[in-house]
Amino acid sequence: MSVDTVRQPGATTADPDLSMGLELLAAQNRARLIQSAKVGAVWVALVALMAATLLQLRIDLPYIAGHFDYVVQGVLTTLWISLVSISIATVLALFGALGRLSANSVAQGVSGLYVSVIRGTPLLVQIWLIHLGLPQIGIELIGLGFPRLGELFILRAIQSGILALSLNYGAYMTEVFRAGIQSIVHGQWEAARSLGMTYGQMLRRVVLPQALHVIIPDIGNNYIFMLKDSALVSVIGVLEITCRASRLARRDSKPMEMLLVAAAVYWILTIISSWLQSRLENRMARAYRH
Amino acid sequence: MIINVENLHKWFGMLHVLRGIDLTVEPQEVVVIIGRSGSGKSTLLRCLNFLEEPSAGTITIDGQTVSVGLRMRTSLHTRAGRQQILALRLKTGMVFQEFNLFPHMTALENVVEGLVTVKKIPKEQAITIGEQCLAKVGLSDKRDEHPIRLSGGQKQRVAIARVLAMEPKVMMFDEPTSALDPELIGEVLEVMLQLAQEGATMLVVTHEMGFAREVADRIIYIDEGQIVEAGPPQQILSNPEDKRTAAFLRTFTRFERGTS
Repeated sequence: MSVDTVRQPGATTADPDLSMGLELLAAQNRARLIQSAKVGAVWVALVALMAATLLQLRIDLPYIAGHFDYVVQGVLTTLWISLVSISIATVLALFGALGRLSANSVAQGVSGLYVSVIRGTPLLVQIWLIHLGLPQIGIELIGLGFPRLGELFILRAIQSGILALSLNYGAYMTEVFRAGIQSIVHGQWEAARSLGMTYGQMLRRVVLPQALHVIIPDIGNNYIFMLKDSALVSVIGVLEITCRASRLARRDSKPMEMLLVAAAVYWILTIISSWLQSRLENRMARAYRH
Repeated sequence: MIINVENLHKWFGMLHVLRGIDLTVEPQEVVVIIGRSGSGKSTLLRCLNFLEEPSAGTITIDGQTVSVGLRMRTSLHTRAGRQQILALRLKTGMVFQEFNLFPHMTALENVVEGLVTVKKIPKEQAITIGEQCLAKVGLSDKRDEHPIRLSGGQKQRVAIARVLAMEPKVMMFDEPTSALDPELIGEVLEVMLQLAQEGATMLVVTHEMGFAREVADRIIYIDEGQIVEAGPPQQILSNPEDKRTAAFLRTFTRFERGTS
């Protein structure tokens, strides 16, 4: 039996014109580097221009320097809320997607309604409903003689924030998971099925491991969105970046100063997260080939 | 007999794709199914292991019977019905036109997957079986490669090893060489020939008439969802009784006349 081989890139025989290819490659890299340098220069110029304008408008720099650290102390809270919420949302989204793709009418109905209601209402309203609305039910339940159950409905601000963000992102990410699962070609299901696998086995062993390659970068994206959406939980008094900034802004009438600080902190967090995200994406893209 | 199909029907919407197929296959028999595209030959294979749910009919493979009919359909979606279908699938193995290897697993992991996940065979034992099956299709040296690093012919041989590992009573091949470059077809047919010689029961949908002539015990010609003609290769390929069979076969020989 003949054994054929796959041609490996770069494994071709010695090419006398190899130096030409190398030179072209170097020129391409050079051009790319120059382009990034130019774009960077534009960024620096624009930021400098904005800074100059703001200084002209008598932005209180010493005030910023003095209160910067109070806002930065909220970074951990913001990161923590986002991290916990994205984790819970991921689990919700997985079950949401399985429900939507399920043949079971109850599962389909529950997940469909969940996604529809959450996506059809503003996150801000959801946060208030959970933090201000649920305790109303809790108090009612306590009155009816279920104190244990009632207390579950009265949440601390940070719990309400996490619950709202989790539910909200869970619904949006349901579509991420659904699309990821549906991106797996039909033949994969058929091969698994013809081996005699059950639905759960097909998901666990064949479909999800492949779908996660599509889904995980998207979870990263959603995490970056959530970093900024988590600012909304400041309205119920969770002491994260925005809440801290707006408190000082109101107390000392320094809205421009403090909100600029908050914006800058989010921006830096986003840049770091995006960098991590692109590294993750590169690693995912390299899978299946070493 | 190892396969018995009675009055099998399949509708896709208002399209009547299988129109009452009756078929029996003896153990160790190699049956090649031919027919033009859209004739229902692939659907027939896919109904046998319920990749497509038949609309009506009775399928028995190695003593495991599943019946489907208009008023019985719901029973297939009960726990008992699903168990029956799973049991039927374990009697069969399927090789697909597009290979359908699991891209996130190495060749060996592909072959071992069904043993470990479905048959619950301990990992080491499964690996031993998997290595034997890879050796059988001549790919021992590719055990740790992912499918992306294999040629089409190698992928299809891994797919055959994956089926072999499960020790099915019947092996079904759905146009196993149709997605391959011409120079890679031979190595796959070679493996199939070897399996046939070792006494495997095989159902093969293919356009490889040379393979059909050499290897088949019986050729079945399907047209418009019905078995038009069946018999030994010599009879079907050389002296077809039915006009439609003859017309179909002429499309294959048209360009060969000058050479033979």
